[in-house]
Amino acid sequence: MTNREEEEAQYESFLSKVRRTVYVDELTPLASKSVVESAFSQFGTVKEVIFLPNYLGPKELPACVLVEMESEQKAKAVIETVSQFPFMVAGMPRPVRASAARPNMFSDRPKKPGRVIQFRWMDPSDPEFDKAQRVKRIVKKHSAEAAFMIRKQLEEAEELAKQQAETVTTHHKKFDLIDKLTVEGVAQKLAGRYNMKCGPSHR
Amino acid sequence: MEEAAAGDEGLEFKWGKKRGVGGKKKDVQFYESFTFDGDEYSLYDSVLVGDANEPDSHQLFVAKIIKIWEHTNKRAKNPRQVKLLWFFRPSEISPHLLEGVSDVVAKELFLASGEGPGLANVNPLEAICGKCSVLCISKDKRNPQPTDEEIKSADFVFRRAFDVGSSKVLDTIDDKIAGVDVTLLFNRAGSKQEATAVQKIQEDINGNLDSLKPNGLLACGSVRETEDNSIESSDLRESSYGREERKEKSKSQLAEERSNKDSSVQKNTAHRKEHDACEASGSRGNHCDGKKAQENEVAKQSTKQKSLPAEARYSNTCEASGSRVNHSDSEKPQANDVRNPFTKQKSMPTGERYSKESNGLDDRPQKKQKLDGSVTVPNGRNTSILQNIGSDGKRDTDSFKRPRDISSDGRRDTDSFKRPRDKETRDEVSPEKPTLVKKKRDLGVSVSEGKDAKTATEKGLAKKPSFDGKLLKRAEDETLADDYERGYQVIEVKQKPDAPWEESMREAEKEERLILLQNLDPTYTSDEVQDIVYSALHEQSTARMIERTSVTISHTGEALVIFNSRQAAERAIKRLDKGCLLLSSGRPLVASFAKINPPGMPSPFCGHIKLQKTQMRRETRDTVSTSHGSQQNTLEYEMAMAWCLHGARSDHAFQTVIKRQLEVKKSLRINFKPKLP
Repeated sequence: MTNREEEEAQYESFLSKVRRTVYVDELTPLASKSVVESAFSQFGTVKEVIFLPNYLGPKELPACVLVEMESEQKAKAVIETVSQFPFMVAGMPRPVRASAARPNMFSDRPKKPGRVIQFRWMDPSDPEFDKAQRVKRIVKKHSAEAAFMIRKQLEEAEELAKQQAETVTTHHKKFDLIDKLTVEGVAQKLAGRYNMKCGPSHR
Repeated sequence: MEEAAAGDEGLEFKWGKKRGVGGKKKDVQFYESFTFDGDEYSLYDSVLVGDANEPDSHQLFVAKIIKIWEHTNKRAKNPRQVKLLWFFRPSEISPHLLEGVSDVVAKELFLASGEGPGLANVNPLEAICGKCSVLCISKDKRNPQPTDEEIKSADFVFRRAFDVGSSKVLDTIDDKIAGVDVTLLFNRAGSKQEATAVQKIQEDINGNLDSLKPNGLLACGSVRETEDNSIESSDLRESSYGREERKEKSKSQLAEERSNKDSSVQKNTAHRKEHDACEASGSRGNHCDGKKAQENEVAKQSTKQKSLPAEARYSNTCEASGSRVNHSDSEKPQANDVRNPFTKQKSMPTGERYSKESNGLDDRPQKKQKLDGSVTVPNGRNTSILQNIGSDGKRDTDSFKRPRDISSDGRRDTDSFKRPRDKETRDEVSPEKPTLVKKKRDLGVSVSEGKDAKTATEKGLAKKPSFDGKLLKRAEDETLADDYERGYQVIEVKQKPDAPWEESMREAEKEERLILLQNLDPTYTSDEVQDIVYSALHEQSTARMIERTSVTISHTGEALVIFNSRQAAERAIKRLDKGCLLLSSGRPLVASFAKINPPGMPSPFCGHIKLQKTQMRRETRDTVSTSHGSQQNTLEYEMAMAWCLHGARSDHAFQTVIKRQLEVKKSLRINFKPKLP
């Protein structure tokens, strides 16, 4: 069965590709392919960058991207580094996250060799028919739950971002003030008035 | 006037007559002719075209120009373009296709026909290497038969077509090829008579004044540029002229000789443009003159003509071609309305009159044949009409030069008759209508009636031809514009791409045939989903699995499925909703109309702080534009850690939810194998 062998070989090569690939999320949707490429080429050669489209989730979701490295080792190294040190791509301070890619992250994956899918239409008189209908409702409910969770998380993220923006502004003001003191010589003047020595610069 | 000098390139280039505008934004100007590198090209001329891919190869392609235009939008890469209908050399057609094609003569080409790549395409105008003559030797009734001499002197001949769709050589040629009426692709209509006439004339010329030819060629070029639309009538006139000439050769030769001299002198001295202007103003003046003087003059003229038969007849013929100038002149304002409103008003109707009269002229020979014995009388009448057309009382003096000059042009037109002829056939349509009426008139008119008849026909016919012409033009332009929008690029036939998903999905959503399937096994592939839809719902579809990411529930597979129609999609949803499709992993399938995010700019990302310019220090500026790992003792690191915490918490929450969901699902597990009651 050469056909089967072919399928298997194809699937195997796909799996090795998956192992070489890093799944990166929490990425800004504004990042372009070249930005991602250059960011991860710091770790090794980037073979391919696939942006995962966000068709169904809320628009504000961070982008997800699959980065295929040249080898499995490199991919592992990337994951390790990125999870140990906050790694920022095209903006700060929110770092990206990296994890190993999984086969079902690829929309164009080949089919598992030798799998046979069966189905049956359930007879409405089937004792489990009601159960199945319930499952269907539950599936919908679950996806609604997930959507709600994501919403919540986004709100949290927004909140955090706001806080941080404030922190940055405060810090900036503080640094600005210090800058002014030293640059404009206010500190020296005051020191002179109080007859104190001030900092590194001596009159 | 129309010649917009495009002197930005090394090679000489001039546009000829405009045809109309087209394109989405009216940014495409169509033309009927142009002058390029010293040669004048018109629509339906045969040209040699170099191979863009192999500029060194000496094998040039042969093609017919079927469209000429320019993008007025200057950003276009090749603003000047031509659409070329190809001829195939036998060597370009693979030998096995030529099997069974008998007696391929030397110089024979095959006209591309049918539909498919290789029929015609758009090329930059600059790709044209030169002109060539391609004669149609088909015995087709629609094809004016060429003479043996013509065939001998032609660069190529064709009589069969090669269907690019079916790759077959066809003995018959379709009525329309690439949207072009086939009569335009044959030899130019009237060429038979013309040819003989031309030969005769040529003989005359050669016999009388051999030195004239080169000069004449020059001048004819200049005139043709200005005239164009009128060529049709000029050709008609020409042919009639030629016929007349034959009959009255002995008489007209004298006059002709003179005229030739005249014209050659003028040509040598006068500058082209001045020349044009001269003619234009001359004819304009004549119009005015004519309008006023017409009425009193008719009688005079006719008597004059009677007394001077030879002269009159000659001027008659002269006038015929002379009127062409007027005509062309009057056509010009039609084309660029703004130019000269005064002339327009005056000359437009006259222009029409001319074209009509020219038709009248065309009829004349027939009539003459009937009335051959009394040549002078009808002739006189004809001249009187013609005089009205030319309507210059001073005809015998100063205006003499002009018509003669042009008459020689006319002849030269026929020398190189290839060019104008195509136009003739195309535009002939509009002036043709009046012919019948005119004929009646012509036949019924006597000398004294000349004036009345003229005005009557003028009134009766003034509107029609121009109207028809405009309609025709517009219709043509529309198709042109259409064609243009479609683009005539050479496109290689490639494997059908896996349709750009994004596009087809958006379209499907708009048409409500996009469905979201849920509760699939997450390991299914897009193809498998398609198969499921096909075998369970008996619908053709295109599916795409949604990638499982950190923000999707990992235990359920989702797929977007595009159905072929809304009905199919509705049916599928209904069936899956009311019924229950259980997959082998024990999952009942769930379907709903999908709502996808509208396309557009990505929303700004929260968590990336945009510092104002003043706040941005050098280091931060650098880090924003690049990617980097963060140092531990910075504020940035601190904030990054906050984000990591946020991420970890979200993940954890998500996992918890998923775990709980899985438990619920497990408790509701359905056996795939039906429990038989």
